[in-house]
Amino acid sequence: MANTACFIIVSRNDIPIYEAEVGSAMKKEEAAQQHQFILHAALDIVEDLAWTTSAILMLLHDSRNEDGIKSFFQEVQELYIKVTFCYYLFVFFVSEYFA
Amino acid sequence: MANYLAQFQAIKSSSDRLVVAVEDVSDLWPSVKEGFEARLPLKKACLNNKTRNPVYVENLPAEFILTTDARLRSRFPQEQYLFWFREPYATVVLVSCEDLDEFKTILKPRLKLIVQNEEREWFIVYVSKAHPSNDQATKMAKKVYARLEVDFSSKRRERCCKLDLNGADASFWEDFDSKIVESIRNTLERRVQFYEEEIRKMSEQRLMPVWNFCNFFILKESLAFMFEMAHLHEDSLREYDELELCYTETVNTPGKQRDFGGLEQGDDQAALLKPEFKPLSQIVQDDSFREFEFRQYLFACQSKLLFKLGRPVEVVARGYSFIISFSKTLALHEKFLPFCLREVWVITACLAIISSISSIYDGELAAPDIEKEFYRFQGDLYSLCRVKFMRLAYMIGYGVDIEKSSVNSASLSMLPWPKPAVWPSIPADASAEVLAKEKMILQANPRMKHFNIQRKPLPLEPSSLLREANRRRASLSVGNVSELLDVRPTDGSGLDGYQRFSPPSKIYASPMPRTYSGPVNFESSVSLDRPMRLSEIHVAAEHALNQTITDPDLLKSLSSLEEFEKKYMELTKGAADNYHHSWWRRHGVVLDGEIAALYFKNGNYDLAAKSYEKVCALYAGEGWQDLLAEVLPNLAECQKILSDEAGYLSSCVRLLSLENGLFLTKERQAFQSEVVHLAHSEMEHPVPLDVSSLITFSGNPGPPLELCDGDPGTLSVSVWSGFPDDITLESLNLTLMATFNADEGVKTINSSDAHILKPGRNVITLDVPPQKPGSYVLGVLTGQIGNLGFRSHSFSKGGPPDSDDFMSYEKPTRPVLKVLKPRPLVDIAAAVSSALLMNEIQWLGLIVKPIKYSLKGALLSIDTGPGLMIDESHMIEIDDHVKPMEDKVHADELDITKENAFSTVKFKLVLENGKVALPDWASDITTVLWFPVRAIDDRMAVAASADCPQRQSVVDGMRTIALKLEFGAFCNQIFERTIAVHFTDPFHVTTRVSDKCNDGTLLLQVMIHSQVKATLYLHDAWLHLQPGFVHVGKANGRPVSGFFPLVISPSSTAGILFSVCIESMPFGDQTELLQTQSILNIMYGISGDRTNGAHAPASLKSGSNDKLHFKVAIALQRPVLDPCVAVGFIPFSSDCLRVGQLVSMKWRVERLKDMEASNPSSSCNDEVLYEVDANPEIWMIAGRKRGHISLSNARGSRIEIIVTCMPLISGHVRPPHLGLPGLGDENISCNPAGPHLVCVLPPTLSSSYCTPA
Repeated sequence: MANTACFIIVSRNDIPIYEAEVGSAMKKEEAAQQHQFILHAALDIVEDLAWTTSAILMLLHDSRNEDGIKSFFQEVQELYIKVTFCYYLFVFFVSEYFA
Repeated sequence: MANYLAQFQAIKSSSDRLVVAVEDVSDLWPSVKEGFEARLPLKKACLNNKTRNPVYVENLPAEFILTTDARLRSRFPQEQYLFWFREPYATVVLVSCEDLDEFKTILKPRLKLIVQNEEREWFIVYVSKAHPSNDQATKMAKKVYARLEVDFSSKRRERCCKLDLNGADASFWEDFDSKIVESIRNTLERRVQFYEEEIRKMSEQRLMPVWNFCNFFILKESLAFMFEMAHLHEDSLREYDELELCYTETVNTPGKQRDFGGLEQGDDQAALLKPEFKPLSQIVQDDSFREFEFRQYLFACQSKLLFKLGRPVEVVARGYSFIISFSKTLALHEKFLPFCLREVWVITACLAIISSISSIYDGELAAPDIEKEFYRFQGDLYSLCRVKFMRLAYMIGYGVDIEKSSVNSASLSMLPWPKPAVWPSIPADASAEVLAKEKMILQANPRMKHFNIQRKPLPLEPSSLLREANRRRASLSVGNVSELLDVRPTDGSGLDGYQRFSPPSKIYASPMPRTYSGPVNFESSVSLDRPMRLSEIHVAAEHALNQTITDPDLLKSLSSLEEFEKKYMELTKGAADNYHHSWWRRHGVVLDGEIAALYFKNGNYDLAAKSYEKVCALYAGEGWQDLLAEVLPNLAECQKILSDEAGYLSSCVRLLSLENGLFLTKERQAFQSEVVHLAHSEMEHPVPLDVSSLITFSGNPGPPLELCDGDPGTLSVSVWSGFPDDITLESLNLTLMATFNADEGVKTINSSDAHILKPGRNVITLDVPPQKPGSYVLGVLTGQIGNLGFRSHSFSKGGPPDSDDFMSYEKPTRPVLKVLKPRPLVDIAAAVSSALLMNEIQWLGLIVKPIKYSLKGALLSIDTGPGLMIDESHMIEIDDHVKPMEDKVHADELDITKENAFSTVKFKLVLENGKVALPDWASDITTVLWFPVRAIDDRMAVAASADCPQRQSVVDGMRTIALKLEFGAFCNQIFERTIAVHFTDPFHVTTRVSDKCNDGTLLLQVMIHSQVKATLYLHDAWLHLQPGFVHVGKANGRPVSGFFPLVISPSSTAGILFSVCIESMPFGDQTELLQTQSILNIMYGISGDRTNGAHAPASLKSGSNDKLHFKVAIALQRPVLDPCVAVGFIPFSSDCLRVGQLVSMKWRVERLKDMEASNPSSSCNDEVLYEVDANPEIWMIAGRKRGHISLSNARGSRIEIIVTCMPLISGHVRPPHLGLPGLGDENISCNPAGPHLVCVLPPTLSSSYCTPA
């Protein structure tokens, strides 16, 4: 589990709406489930902290690992670009269709 | 100075309050002692804290000690200096003197001696023994006291106070208290300064070799202790905090290798709330203290102060972080410590804090936020304790009892194993224990999950215990990992497992020398060279732990599986409860799941189900399906065992509703078969099952189904089934809800399809009975699987997303059905508005016009009214109404003959029982139905006089026909209409005598008006005269035949002139002759189109020469040749008549003959009946219109009849006519002879309401 990270976007009703495993390590089934479990339990802490901070992103990590965090954010950004690009592609096709 | 440590501890423990010294100069103590001590503890003391700010201390404890007391004597100056905190903080000098001289000579010098020590804070209490009644003594006492004040008090400070032993003086005690407090305050301040100075001096040496932490500690703690005695706990705490910082610095100073501690008996039990656990002198190490004990000591002092300050929450918070950080410190020294001391210490530390807190904290006074935090830390403590406890239990083989759940796996699989220098080895005589452990491992079959769900169990180990334990054994190398693989036997005996394990180990050459001496002798102790088996590891760990643990409770908890479960439950419950109190519901609920697992294991299924339900509700509510998929099967299993059918079914449905990927198809099929099996069994309490998440539905895309009012229909709906296989439903219904009318309630519609739902989308058709107008949305899907009713409320998410918010599955409800408001669906009207021929078979056209509605299968009932009948000898014809019109247009252009166009569309229909069925091709187009009808009128037509043309009554020719059209898909629509059809004779005949010739010939003009919209051909006409008249020249009464056929265009008139003369006949026959009429016979033909109006009767063949015969009666009247009575209209007196003006109409009636002679049969010989006949639209008659007047029978007798009338309209109008009905027209001579006109002027303008200017 050294280089794997679980990236989950949670809606305002605490429902996970996007989930992705990022990192180089092989995806382990039990690890995925444990990630979910840990992130879900972490929502208790998020709820407490949400009133005290304006941050919208919370990173839960085992130990201090600057490089790991950096690469995590890079992968998340790539994911974001992929997803938004798909959306724009879709919009493009739709507008072509109706043009 | 460190040598004083033991003494310091002893002093500290013996002195717990501030000391006030009493210098009893005049032996007064016994008499004042009681009063003095009653003032303690000091009610309110204002002291200065370290930062010189005033602090109010309530109930400050203090103690009065006489200076002669042993406790204050015999101290070496060095001691006094070092332990200054125990020296008196004030000195009270008690004096009494009643003689001034004595005071001056003896007392004063003595007092001066006492108070000369500057370091003391003192004041003098003068005690007066004088009785109030003894004036002398009182006076003297006052004098002495005054003197005393002069000598010892200064302006700056009042140092004297006076106590009257015999008189109550409240003000004294207040004065006394304030003086004590003042002294204490000053002393305290001075000593704080002193200590601070000393500490500062010593701190400067911190980096020097002479630095000695113990000395620094004594000073620092002396100051802290002094603050504590003065109840300045806050300052005291600060001192300890600083001390802790300083110690951490000292201990972390590199270079010196110090003993850590923790090796003594009982060290495994945390002493972090017991400062007195070990004397400090025992833990001294060189110039400092052992870390293990000293840090616990510091924390104990801090927590003691925090409790005194009333901040137990802070104890928990600090305690938790202390345990975490200290546990890390322990990890650093783990290899020197007893096996698992770290884990044991954490467990006991957590439990110690929890137990001390729960006994103190009542939790009612704290603010909600603080309370939340308090419970959270408690939960954390419980949770930490629980994890460490599980770790210990796992190592001694109780892992079989630990649920391999997410929470346990997350806690344990990331928690490293203990790292002792050498893993404990198995004791010599432990073979029985090893066997027992082996048995335990073998008996622990991994519980098969319900529904045959197979999952890889989550790990509870960070790495294989077998490998870790063997690796840490001194004699085994790290390299031969393959030997250490987990070969835990899953089948067969442990021995076999071992034997199977042994041979491969031989293959790998190990660098370490080892001996495999044939078959393993189990009885012998395990060779150091051989890797331990798991059961051996457990036994070894158990033995080592028993060495480590001294806490009997913990030992007991680990002594057996049952005890372990008990403790495990206690800790889990404690953690869950506290997390729930702290609003960390996710943490709490997760632990509820663990409690449930334990309940389940112990067969307490009811409680297990309740706890599992909580967990499932949380995961389901927040949509964490992966986690839900783990727990839900457990809940289902509990419910099945408990025979909670409704709950079990609902759980199965929820399992099926989870994402497909979470379970294998086989497992999902198992869920379905459970549902189906239960549904078809006899359930005790069948409850409708909510399958909203599993079976969803939506209307089909596209516009909603539109139905006309009153029409049934068929609605097509998409139903998504989440079952993995086909599922058979006994019935399937849907409710429709009106969107704008909640009162309407819901209508259930049923599916007529076969009820097998395939996985995924199914299109279901439902029969919709007639509904009220409005829009309808789908409501609830209900149905039945076997005996089980189910319902689903949710719209499908399978359809395309309608909104951007893809999280919202609740789409705005789209109407699926629109029932239109009532509107005309069809119109039936008469094709022709003009009149048809009376008494002939005529085609009656009805235009049937569907208004955007199909008339397929329509049935038209026809009911003719009186005087009209349908001629059944002819077929009914139907014709396209629009086509001829179009053909006319196209015929011009394309030269298509009209006949061709008609021939394609003309049909004949049969009338059955008054009903005719419309053909299908006519269902959507406007058609004309042609009925052969005949209107019957038996009366003969009567010719009218041309002079007074009587209007023909339209009603006479009116016939009605009632129509009823039944149409619609189920003949549910009914259209009813009654149509009026006008029939008429072909001609209207008027006559007039155009001239009376001198020879008695009359020229009778007969005018024939065409009444129909068709061309009429007169083929022949003859007049059959009544008796009394003959044709001139005895002709047959026919006009010249050469005139015929005479063509009469529609609405035009033709005329025929007949010459007749009066036949002379005897007088007596005249009366009889009057009764008969002349008949005009007309033979005619008609040429008309039925689309316009009258036409040739259907009975005649088109183009045949058959002629029609029309008869009309003409009344001829013989001239009055021998009148009996003359009636003369007397002209008006005025010039003109006006509308609204009354006018008198006068007629003169005169007998021309004697009545006896002319009419002997008349009985009423002298009375004449008269009648005024006037058009009521023109005239209003005031007076009698009809009556008898007396008129003598004698010839020449005359009378005037006057009737008052008023004209109503202006113009030339016919005046009223006076008739004498009793006499007969032939006997009356009128003047003027024929009809005449009078002129009536319009009414005069009225100016009555106009006022002059």
